[in-house]
Amino acid sequence: MKKLLLTALLTTLPTAGAATLVYGANGDPVSLEPGNITDGISILVQHQIYDTLVAFKDGTTDPEPGLATKWTSNANATSWTFTLRPNVKFHDGTAFNADAVVYNFSRWWDPKHPQGFRNQGRTFEIWGQLLGGYKGDATSVVKNIVKVNNTTVRFDLNKSSSVFPEVIGAGYFGIASPTAIKKDGAKYGTPASKPIGTGPFIFQSWRTGDRVTLAPNQSYWGSKAKVDGLIIRSIKDASQRLNELKAGTIDFTSDLTPDALRNVQADRNLVAVKKPSFNVGFLSLNNRNQYLKNDKVREAISMAINRKAIVDAFWNGLGVSNASFLPPVLAWANSKDVPATYKFDPAAAKKMLADAGYPNGFSIDLWYMPVSRPYFPTPKPIAEAIAADLSAIGIKVNLKTEDWAKYLEDRNKEPGFDMYMIGWTGDYGDPDNFYGAYYGPTASDDINWNPAELQRLLEQGRAAVGRTAKARVYGQLHEITYKANYRLPMVHSQPLAAARTYVRGWVPSPLGSEAFNNISLVGKR
Amino acid sequence: MGSYVIRRLLRTLLVMIGISVVVFAFVRSIPGDPATALLGERATPEAAAALREQLGLNKPWFINFGNPSNPLDAQYPRYVAGLLQGDLGSGLKSNIPVRDELASRFPATAELSVAALLFALLIGLPAGIVAALRRNSAWDNVATTVSLVGVSMPVFWLGLLLSYFFAVKLGWLPPSARLGNETVLEPITGFYVLDALLRGQPAAAWDAIRHLILPAVALGSIPLAIIARITRSSLLEVLGQDYVRTARAKGLAPRHVTVKHALRNALLPVVTVIGLQAGALLGGAVLTETIFSWPGLGSWVYDAISLRDYPIIQGGVIFAALVVSVVNLVVDLSYAALDPRIQYR
Repeated sequence: MKKLLLTALLTTLPTAGAATLVYGANGDPVSLEPGNITDGISILVQHQIYDTLVAFKDGTTDPEPGLATKWTSNANATSWTFTLRPNVKFHDGTAFNADAVVYNFSRWWDPKHPQGFRNQGRTFEIWGQLLGGYKGDATSVVKNIVKVNNTTVRFDLNKSSSVFPEVIGAGYFGIASPTAIKKDGAKYGTPASKPIGTGPFIFQSWRTGDRVTLAPNQSYWGSKAKVDGLIIRSIKDASQRLNELKAGTIDFTSDLTPDALRNVQADRNLVAVKKPSFNVGFLSLNNRNQYLKNDKVREAISMAINRKAIVDAFWNGLGVSNASFLPPVLAWANSKDVPATYKFDPAAAKKMLADAGYPNGFSIDLWYMPVSRPYFPTPKPIAEAIAADLSAIGIKVNLKTEDWAKYLEDRNKEPGFDMYMIGWTGDYGDPDNFYGAYYGPTASDDINWNPAELQRLLEQGRAAVGRTAKARVYGQLHEITYKANYRLPMVHSQPLAAARTYVRGWVPSPLGSEAFNNISLVGKR
Repeated sequence: MGSYVIRRLLRTLLVMIGISVVVFAFVRSIPGDPATALLGERATPEAAAALREQLGLNKPWFINFGNPSNPLDAQYPRYVAGLLQGDLGSGLKSNIPVRDELASRFPATAELSVAALLFALLIGLPAGIVAALRRNSAWDNVATTVSLVGVSMPVFWLGLLLSYFFAVKLGWLPPSARLGNETVLEPITGFYVLDALLRGQPAAAWDAIRHLILPAVALGSIPLAIIARITRSSLLEVLGQDYVRTARAKGLAPRHVTVKHALRNALLPVVTVIGLQAGALLGGAVLTETIFSWPGLGSWVYDAISLRDYPIIQGGVIFAALVVSVVNLVVDLSYAALDPRIQYR
């Protein structure tokens, strides 16, 4: 009896060292409704509340079981069967099962779904972007979503896709409780509703512009949270995030500017965390421009830019420059015949420009983005450095910029920009996500160069099974795009994050967000 | 007086209608549309067009000439129809009703503005008075210099500086936000200090006040400087007037002359400035709110502008215009209390 009492007492006492974990995010989530968001903060918050069918191993892009314990495909990867984890409950106590999976996916995929709320501005845009289109579209990757039995769901596809499990494992596609969605209707995902998933944390409250408060899920199927609570605060200003971290009012944060590195390293209460790179910042050269049409001109431009010096100067060592569109974690898909880094040779570049018929150079526009992005933290000075390199071989560069929304619109409007800076951050760990976004059938027509051969290779890449087979296809893509010099990769940046020294067990994912259930606070305050 | 108030109210209503039309046309004339802004780097022209149609942004702004059976099938008439039912629409991406968000954002901005104005008045008024009464003294020089610095210092710079010094270096005050991590407070009015007191949570009230100090100082610095300067010059002018000299010559106590005769008249322009500053505070709050993670109206509308989130911009601007109109009305009416010579017509 005594022993029983003691056990009861011990289990109700808070675990020693546990405290509330506070994360400083660079803004507010847009919505807590899965499938209807694309911004990083929404994905991060959703990652704590929801699970996806397929998860990714800590710190990698390698898939591992999530809400599905295993998945298999038929021989040509046109049909995928997922076995669901048994005995999992949503935070509202309802059962996670095949019906819930079919419900969630149908909502994103089927424009006629009763709780799709498409008449109220819902778009589920990311589904269309990653999976070709919606039910009824000729381009839709998915043909059918079938409940086989209570713990088995099958996806029939219109074309073979070996990356399908990774795609639906992307942070956008958290599985929500159908009961909760039906109850809250179109309000679901707003601060007026209670988002319900199966994840390691349970939603408590959301004060917009300020914070989201979460509590640990004591009956989580996976590794249970090691803290008493989790607060995700919205702190838009990067300097202020660093101030908060130094003052100890937040425990860890991301998206610091590269120049904060020394400041963080100089503070013995803080640890700098260089996140794995999963992005690419690049220059796009427009084939509509009379000079840029010329293969030699583009090659000369590529040779004239001192990428390494630029990356060292503006990323403070938090970036790598190589000769690939793919970030380093996907290097297995690069061609062995392409050099590791671009050649920097202004003399040869000047000669090549003369060979092309422009010994005295010419004048051209370079557009830089007006906003800071992980891959281009300080776009204007970077653009100035590029302009300086180009002027060294006789090309006069006019720097231009405009409002971000307009910038994104105008690059796609004919004639587009001559040269412009842009970038991409990956959603799932496959080369298809990078090449497909800029060379695929739905890629933007900003450079007027998207040969059919690339489309064919991308199809093959999506169908190829296993890394060896994929590397063969993407290696070819790498060679073609490398030689063409239409998109010049500049950097794969490592976003800078930092934590108080008492924060243990944080393994940032290259995919941009991860569940915080393995983080503990040892001796906080 | 009564008919004056009614006429003023009617005029306010007309102003509000005018502003709604202007804002509506203005946000739509900003180059770049919500569809590409919402879709971001991933936007393809096809996806953007589909989204535009979904959001009803492909409809004409004011009158749909292409649809003779229902020419009011345009964006503005639909918006006004919603407005009359108290529906301001919802954020394009977040789907959060603008009305709900206004209800939580406005009190945050108002609390900050009131605190900033209080700070500006409590320091600015006495500083201006002392500077005027002790003209050309060390006091005067200090007040003039400080007010010059206050006006010239950019708010975001001052805000970061205050935060670094008082929160990081000294650890006296929290760097940003409205409440600490451990404080739980169920809002009633949205004014956290007041809410904490109403709920009988003195610790939470103290926490809210501590969080209010730095942003209020940052936001109040410019009005403080302006108020101090206006008070000083206005009081100096009044002190040189004949009736003040007469009062002094009559042998009235200098203190009595200053307070009863001079100060009262000197405060008229100050009240006007305070009224104008109250409006400016709403606008100036944008930077302060962003720096101090203050979930107010300013930072909300600011974010919406970069996203071209039309319903939020419209709702926010129209509401802010309403507040400024009301403040101006109050200022006009308060003139009477200070100067009976002002006639209402």
